[in-house]
Amino acid sequence: MILPAFELHHPTRLPELLELCRTLRAEGRDFDFVAGGTDVLPNYKNRLNPKGDLISLARLEGFDEIETNRIGARARIADLATSSVLGEHWPGLVEAARSIASPTLRNLGTVGGNLCLDTRCHYFNQSEFWRRSKGYCLKADGEDCLVVPQKKICYATYSGDLAPVFLVLDAVLDLAGPQGERSMPLREFYAFDGIRRFRKEPDEICLRIRIPKESEGLRTGYRKLRARDVLEYPVMGVAMGLRVAEGAVRDLRVAVTGSEAIPLHYGDLDLGNGIPPGEEGAEAVKRALLEWVKTYRNVPFPPGYRRAMAGEFGRELFMTLVSA
Amino acid sequence: MTRTRILRLKINGHEREVAAEPNAILLDVLREGLGLTGTKRGCDMGTCGCCNVLLDGRPVNSCLVLAWDCEDREITTIEGLLPEDPGALHPLQEAWAETGGSQCGFCSPGFIVTAEALLREDPEPTETRVREALSGNLCRCTGYKKIVEAVLKAARSGRGVEVGS
Repeated sequence: MILPAFELHHPTRLPELLELCRTLRAEGRDFDFVAGGTDVLPNYKNRLNPKGDLISLARLEGFDEIETNRIGARARIADLATSSVLGEHWPGLVEAARSIASPTLRNLGTVGGNLCLDTRCHYFNQSEFWRRSKGYCLKADGEDCLVVPQKKICYATYSGDLAPVFLVLDAVLDLAGPQGERSMPLREFYAFDGIRRFRKEPDEICLRIRIPKESEGLRTGYRKLRARDVLEYPVMGVAMGLRVAEGAVRDLRVAVTGSEAIPLHYGDLDLGNGIPPGEEGAEAVKRALLEWVKTYRNVPFPPGYRRAMAGEFGRELFMTLVSA
Repeated sequence: MTRTRILRLKINGHEREVAAEPNAILLDVLREGLGLTGTKRGCDMGTCGCCNVLLDGRPVNSCLVLAWDCEDREITTIEGLLPEDPGALHPLQEAWAETGGSQCGFCSPGFIVTAEALLREDPEPTETRVREALSGNLCRCTGYKKIVEAVLKAARSGRGVEVGS
């Protein structure tokens, strides 16, 4: 399948990249960033919102470090999945990385790319021919959402695996754009609209993600529902972090992907402190997830089944982490 | 305006020059620009592994790699694994033939290139490791058992990395 025509740019240093963004913006030219290409290029092949300019990050220097509390946006997912340092501190992060796509795709895909993954939907991730036949949707070329027709926002599903674990870890994203550099908690990064997706500007890029020291000592885990054990996006993914102290579960954190247009952190559930570390606590987590999680009929598996699996994952993760 | 550029690519140990537009993917450049048709086009979406090549020693889906991103990088295709002796096979290819790892053969280059990367990293992989490493490659004929056997056979014989490494 031939990619649509575009201009390809290869900045090697961050100031050069930011200057390029400024120039393209001043000329009124829309652009996308591409790093591993495993998300952007299939979408471009399907003519899903292609831009006239692509800024490749392939030759950008730096931002590929993997340290305990700091991971560059250009770090390969394969390197995250095999990192012994991360495995020791944040096993949930490594579990999530290992569950992404396939080994060969993980050799291409990057952390920044996974965090900024485009949202997915039955009516969007299709060929141009299919979409033309069915009628275009709000997210690409159409005027109405085909999942929730009354709404004027897009309900396509966020399907990244790393974001829920980083949410549990209370991670902070470092961004850079023509206006300068800034940091933003990942919990504030996503915007509930499958089209807009982020609270960053289109010409801002992710430089790195940092995990605060306060998250050290959390027991972390990740579970994922998908049609096959490899290659598939999560249609429900649950990340959990907790501590056990003085005979009770404390600091319980749960985040979910594959459910709505953004990955959601369920920190404001009243599950936070003093949960009994057994079946009773696990059932409470399950009930809370069943109440909280919303799903739509826009990715594989029925919404009710996916919601039920969120509860089961929560229950099982709770028991596993408590006895870890 | 789309510009065509002459790319200088390092393929199978040799410098090759090829003209490519910005939107050219590595798979197209290999097959159509350089005549290296051993690398196959399957799904074109990164989900079948037929187009796998080694990029700096790592197996990747060449249908999702922009050709312009590949300058100054080492590319190894199935042709690059062949011994210099005409008619000779790579040890993995021999093992494929001996175990019946190929039926229609369309997926074999992708599997073999991916298996080669595994054996370079781990010359004595377990069956689980082989299955995990090949999990991004699809075969619609064999059912995988003979493919996994072929990789284990090549590994057991200690021949997996004799050639092309």
